[in-house]
Amino acid sequence: MIRGILYGLKKFWSEVFSGDLLILFLSIVLAVTSISSVGFLGDRLKSSMQMQASSILGADLVLRSASKIDSKYLDLAAANDLDSAEMSTFLSMVITEDDNLLTSIKAVTASYPLRGELKIVNSQGTKIKHFGSPEPGNIWIERKVLETLELMELDKVSIGNKNFIVEGIIEDYPDRNSSFVGFYPIAIVNINDVDAMGVIQTGSRVVYRNLFSGTQDNLERFEKSLEGMPANIRVQNALDIGDNLGEDIANSTTFFNLASLFTIIISVIASMMAVRRYASRNLLHTSLMKVFGASKLFILGHQIMQLTLVAIFASSLGLIFGYGLQHLLLSTLQGIINADLPPPSSRPVILGFITAAFVIFATASPYIKILSETEPIRILRNDFNIKLSSNLMIYLVAFFTMFGFLGALFQDIKLIIYIVISLILVTFSLYLIGRLLIYGLSSMKFSYGTGWKLGLKNIVQRGNDSILQVIIFGLSLLFLVVLAETRTDLVDSWTETLDEDTPNYFLFNIQQYNLDPISNYFKDQGNVVPDFTPLIRGRLLSAARPGSEDINFDNLMEREANLTWQNQLPLSNSLVEGEWWTNGNEVAEVSIDREIAESMNLMIGDELIFSAGGKTFSVTVSSFREIEWQSFSPNFFFILSPAAGRELPNSYITSIKLENSQKFMNNFTNRFPTITSVNLEAIIEQGKSSLASASLAVQYIFFLTFIAGILALIASVYSNRDQRTKETAIMHAIGASRALIFKSAASEFLILGLLSATTAIIFSIALSSVIFIQFLDLIYSPNLLILGLSYLFGIGFIFIAGVISIRKSIYASPMITLRDS
Amino acid sequence: MSNLILEVKNITKEVNSPEGLLTIVKDINLSVEQGKPVSLVGPSGSGKTTLLAIMAGLDLPTTGTVRLLGSQITSLDEDKRAQIRGKDVGFVFQSFHLMPRLTALDNVMLPLEISGDPQSTDKAYEALKQVGLSKRAKHFATQLSGGEKQRVAIARSIVNKPKILFADEPTGNLDKKSSSSITDLIFSLNELIQTTLVLVTHDLSLAEKCDEVYELSEGQLL
Ligand SMILES: Nc1ncnc2c1ncn2[C@@H]1O[C@H](COP(=O)(O)OP(=O)(O)OP(=O)(O)O)[C@@H](O)[C@H]1O
Ligand SMILES: [Mg+2]
Repeated sequence: MIRGILYGLKKFWSEVFSGDLLILFLSIVLAVTSISSVGFLGDRLKSSMQMQASSILGADLVLRSASKIDSKYLDLAAANDLDSAEMSTFLSMVITEDDNLLTSIKAVTASYPLRGELKIVNSQGTKIKHFGSPEPGNIWIERKVLETLELMELDKVSIGNKNFIVEGIIEDYPDRNSSFVGFYPIAIVNINDVDAMGVIQTGSRVVYRNLFSGTQDNLERFEKSLEGMPANIRVQNALDIGDNLGEDIANSTTFFNLASLFTIIISVIASMMAVRRYASRNLLHTSLMKVFGASKLFILGHQIMQLTLVAIFASSLGLIFGYGLQHLLLSTLQGIINADLPPPSSRPVILGFITAAFVIFATASPYIKILSETEPIRILRNDFNIKLSSNLMIYLVAFFTMFGFLGALFQDIKLIIYIVISLILVTFSLYLIGRLLIYGLSSMKFSYGTGWKLGLKNIVQRGNDSILQVIIFGLSLLFLVVLAETRTDLVDSWTETLDEDTPNYFLFNIQQYNLDPISNYFKDQGNVVPDFTPLIRGRLLSAARPGSEDINFDNLMEREANLTWQNQLPLSNSLVEGEWWTNGNEVAEVSIDREIAESMNLMIGDELIFSAGGKTFSVTVSSFREIEWQSFSPNFFFILSPAAGRELPNSYITSIKLENSQKFMNNFTNRFPTITSVNLEAIIEQGKSSLASASLAVQYIFFLTFIAGILALIASVYSNRDQRTKETAIMHAIGASRALIFKSAASEFLILGLLSATTAIIFSIALSSVIFIQFLDLIYSPNLLILGLSYLFGIGFIFIAGVISIRKSIYASPMITLRDS
Repeated sequence: MSNLILEVKNITKEVNSPEGLLTIVKDINLSVEQGKPVSLVGPSGSGKTTLLAIMAGLDLPTTGTVRLLGSQITSLDEDKRAQIRGKDVGFVFQSFHLMPRLTALDNVMLPLEISGDPQSTDKAYEALKQVGLSKRAKHFATQLSGGEKQRVAIARSIVNKPKILFADEPTGNLDKKSSSSITDLIFSLNELIQTTLVLVTHDLSLAEKCDEVYELSEGQLL
């Protein structure tokens, strides 16, 4: 064995460069490049999203309650090596000598915020602080407070009984509520000043928060020890938020996973072919070695060493490419990821090596077995054909271990199962079609003479080999087409989400008497017709399930709620459960965002009690909706039926799309000073550039899979090239013209290409629709252009590659071909 | 001690074929003395190659025993037989069987590399010199003529100084001229490296150069 290993080591590079190992080598390089670039990227993308999520919370983990939180949790956190900060928020008037403003007060400890950045500037705009709390007696306020109250730096304000000096202006702070419709400006004070204000009394609405940050392990340990905490304390985890962050990022991640999954499968196919060719070419070598006294172990050592070296060198190369590609992807993804990224972990490196080893040994093990058990007598019989049928079991085992491995790798059993099923179905169909073809052709009577008839006859004579080629061509094409479709539609759907009609202004605080003047204003100025949505400021008090007591609405807490009422389901919403109210139905009902409903354990038919406009009223949950938040139109978690909402006091909000918006809005603010407007352009721009970069990243990854697919096709065209070459030589020798041989080979490849491409296209429609609906939440309609082009490409490629593969032997002199064999 | 280098007793080989059990060789008994070349002749399909393979330990008989170089190879497993082949047995084939992408020298080195001989290069050069092809050492197998290929194959077969050399129609693929020079070479090996030749051939004139001629017909010795 040792000698075999040394021998394998010695002969490695010459075998790679002689071509026998080259395709295997390249397909491993590609598989590892793909898996590692996606791995490296995913790794960094994930940690970056986590960082963003943490900065939304200002911490990694938050305890939140409407009553004071026991200080024992702070001790517990300290015992778990976590950093902590405290914060309480409440509404109060900020008062100057001649004016006042209702403001959201954040009272914080000096370690605030634990994650994300606080940006405090002076009136010149110079940054004076980036974390912490003001000294007792000082206050930081948002610019809006400064402007409304006409304050200057170092002016005095008071909150309740306590006087403050304005020390700085809040430019940015981490724990902004994720929604951009913030109703109150904020001010930050030191938590030790709260008692002196005397504004918090029983019944006041205060939200208390404990913020924590630390290593993942410590956080997990801490979170575990929190079990049995009183129900009124809610845990918010940055990880959970990270999961919800950005459906587009999630979709592009799905695409990356899909692409690297396909690349691995295609690479497996390519290396299966490559290994087959390698093995049949090695059979002479191995048999000779046996004749000259090599033992089974020697051959095993030789083969395993060579394949191990392929695994090591190819995956090292793949890792280098993968890391480079990840860098490229990352720089294109700047729009999505703007935080400084932590370096990638070593996981993708390990993954790369494991993938390589796996692909190689799963595909090669049957051949290693055959080679090591070669009978030396083959040499005397000149018999160098490999029969795989007796090794079907090994293939099956390899196949299923492969999917076990992929399942573990992608942690998405559902996806893997769909892929396995379609793989089996398609393979089986391709097999059947191949069989039928051969059956059909062999029952025809051929007389020699024309090239294409000869080609058909060759297909029949090659039998299983032809079927195998149909299968391999078909599978490689299938995955390429599915990915091409996914790529195109994903990118299209992204462009559509932010099309030209996306509103760029949000207006709120609109009163009834403003409606007509505003409509007229926009009609005159820009021919825009705004659509007003009622906004009711309310509060969710409690929930009940008729007929059952003691239902635990655990996560339901008294909360501020922005309500609206509607006759029709808004365009950017879709009903997922229950029914929308019919016109004229005078029942008090509510339709809820599905996610919110789920988080509150609500079911259709539950009763919710709201208070709004000084009234307390009850509504029945009648439907759940899914909201498309990217639509940038006014969206609500709770929509009341007209019967419930019509009579409540409300203001209106609207979103509009304005050209030349700056000038327009300046005039508007002068005419309607009480109306608040929010400019969405920056957000939209950010979204657009994010999607553009995600699209670009998707193209790169697709390109990688594409190369892998091409390689697989080439590998399979070349897999029986030796045999074809021999046949060509014989045909030449018995006097066939070049044109005849060319026509015969061309028609053979044309038929194989036609059959496999047709099957691949048909199945790709099925597989794409499953992937679209199940994994991307997109609607699927076959992209005829892509399908058509892929069809032509598939047939054309197989044809051209096939002709090229035998061109040399067709145009070589028969003498040389004879000598070669 | 007997100087029998090869002793074949009651060898029968049967195979399964589409037409049922097929007896290829039947009840063969023969022996070869050290230093006395023997030949095996017979019409095509008479079972010469089959018998040769069994005698050299490349294949096993259905019944019977073979004693090669003092070992009862018919009761050894494939790896043990390989060990004996690697050490003391040489082979020359009708269709040369050189590795096409290796140089002549590398081809000759193959058996030594398998046994892990540290002087493989020197010994391979020496063997190429013995067959008169040292100038072609760096040529690839595909660049050689048939006669040259067979010389390289012969160099390969003698590089481990085998005690017995099996040759299956070594001139079958060659023209008259190179055929006779290969024949001379093979018979000179007896002297050159003290090996005993077991030669399978169609060619009676070739066979008669041997000390003993066995004739096979339909799987049986005449
Ligand atoms: N494994 C096998 N299965 C079936 N038939 C076999 C097998 N091996 C050999 N034969 C048959 O046995 C017979 C003897 O074959 P063998 O190769 O030994 O003949 P040979 O004397 O060497 O012929 P030639 O001079 O043409 O080389 C042939 O008819 C051959 O077809
Ligand atoms: Mg023969």
